[in-house]
Amino acid sequence: MAITLDVNGRTQEVDTDPATPLLYVLRDYLKLNAAKFGCGLGQCGSCTVMVDGQAVFSCVTPVMTLEGRKVTTLEGLGTIDAPAPIQTAFIEVQAAQCGYCIPGMMMSAQALLQKNPQPSEREIRDALRTNLCRCGTHMRILAAIRRAGELMKSAAAEKAGTG
Amino acid sequence: MTQDINRRTILKAGGALIVSFSILPAWAQEAAQPAPGPKLPGSLNDERFLDSWIRIDAEGKIVVFTGKAELGQGIKTALIQVAAEELEVEPADIALVTADTGRTADEGFTAGSQSMQNSGTAIRNAAAQVRELLLAKAAEKFGTGSGELKAAEKVITAPDGRKAGYGELAAAIDLHIEAKPQSMLKAPGTLRIIGKSLPRVDIPAKVTGGIAYVQDLRLEGMVHARIVRPPSYNATLAQVDASRIEAMPGVIKVVRDGNFLAVVAEREYQAVSAMRALATAAQWIENETLPDETRLPEMLAGLEREVGTVAQEGAPHFDGKVF
Ligand code: FES
Ligand code: FES
Repeated sequence: MAITLDVNGRTQEVDTDPATPLLYVLRDYLKLNAAKFGCGLGQCGSCTVMVDGQAVFSCVTPVMTLEGRKVTTLEGLGTIDAPAPIQTAFIEVQAAQCGYCIPGMMMSAQALLQKNPQPSEREIRDALRTNLCRCGTHMRILAAIRRAGELMKSAAAEKAGTG
Repeated sequence: MTQDINRRTILKAGGALIVSFSILPAWAQEAAQPAPGPKLPGSLNDERFLDSWIRIDAEGKIVVFTGKAELGQGIKTALIQVAAEELEVEPADIALVTADTGRTADEGFTAGSQSMQNSGTAIRNAAAQVRELLLAKAAEKFGTGSGELKAAEKVITAPDGRKAGYGELAAAIDLHIEAKPQSMLKAPGTLRIIGKSLPRVDIPAKVTGGIAYVQDLRLEGMVHARIVRPPSYNATLAQVDASRIEAMPGVIKVVRDGNFLAVVAEREYQAVSAMRALATAAQWIENETLPDETRLPEMLAGLEREVGTVAQEGAPHFDGKVF
């Protein structure tokens, strides 16, 4: 069955079983690497993407529920040459060991920062409760998210100043 | 204990947990033939040619090879630092190829904190020897002693200002030669790059959805497979009616080989769905079953036991010398 999806601002048609979880559509059909398969059970957060600005587990979200909604993956935030503030922050802070959990962490954090540009430490930690890191990168991940908040703030100020 | 250990004998052993396994085949390095010639540093001992580790083309492009894989431990960055240091170039001048069956040395597993020790040592020594060869070639060209020359930014400069690029010098050198046991390694006081913290080269791709993991490989004509695991240890596959599964969308083949059961499909999720259906269709004869999880305390209490003293309170007996 053909399903129309809006992924990273591009409308795409995929011909798949409507029960297929979004994660498989992203990775296998759309060839996007950022969302990762960790558990497939909604338990680890490595597959986290944003749907209409909310962090969701793509491994347990059937594509049929996504028509008319906006899916954003890490690829949709920025690129290696033009990174988004959250990507710049993770690079600056070197917040990755194996990096497998990181895209999911970043999407949970991005969803938080979009709603709440100045989250408290408690709010950051709460937003990341759904994401596991096996390497133990937690302290750097937290530092990177605080840094992303600062970078987003200065980017917004710059825009307001020049715009 | 050489007797055949099965679950029952483990449980009967009471108190002791016996885990038996064998490692077959052994580490890849052990399978390699004993290296002829003198002992060379690190993995150079197994992969003895300089050009197995370092190549420089006529344009001066430097490629370094390692048989180890980046797993987030940062070896890509660290190995680049080592190579750049000894070659007297900048880290950005080095392209590093990691664990590639067709192109790099077979350095076995990437494990046990061995990458810098073995691969790093090989690369450091090979880089130092290549640098010496470049200097010697430049000395020959300029008619000077190589000790008077300076190597920097992929250029060797003579005291009178004459210059020769790494590319042009490398074109006149055969790097397909065996490494020597001794290298002119840079003295610790002169190190520019080793010992500094550099940003990890693998992180930008990992935070932007680049290709970083084996899962990101998408090969031409690639299909997907999933294995149906047996329900318990030593279960045998009695029968499976695969016809319904074979008719599922995208399914290419159900593979059965004795007790091994798997399914191949065009798309990954088709393989997952077919695997689940296949698991339901498969009938297994279970020979060894795990204890009933809901009754573990009773099961443990019912096992044979051995009573002994683990700890005893009271004044310890002591006849040693008191200082
Ligand atoms: S893969 Fe989705 S939560 Fe683990
Ligand atoms: S960085 Fe490896 S799992 Fe988080």
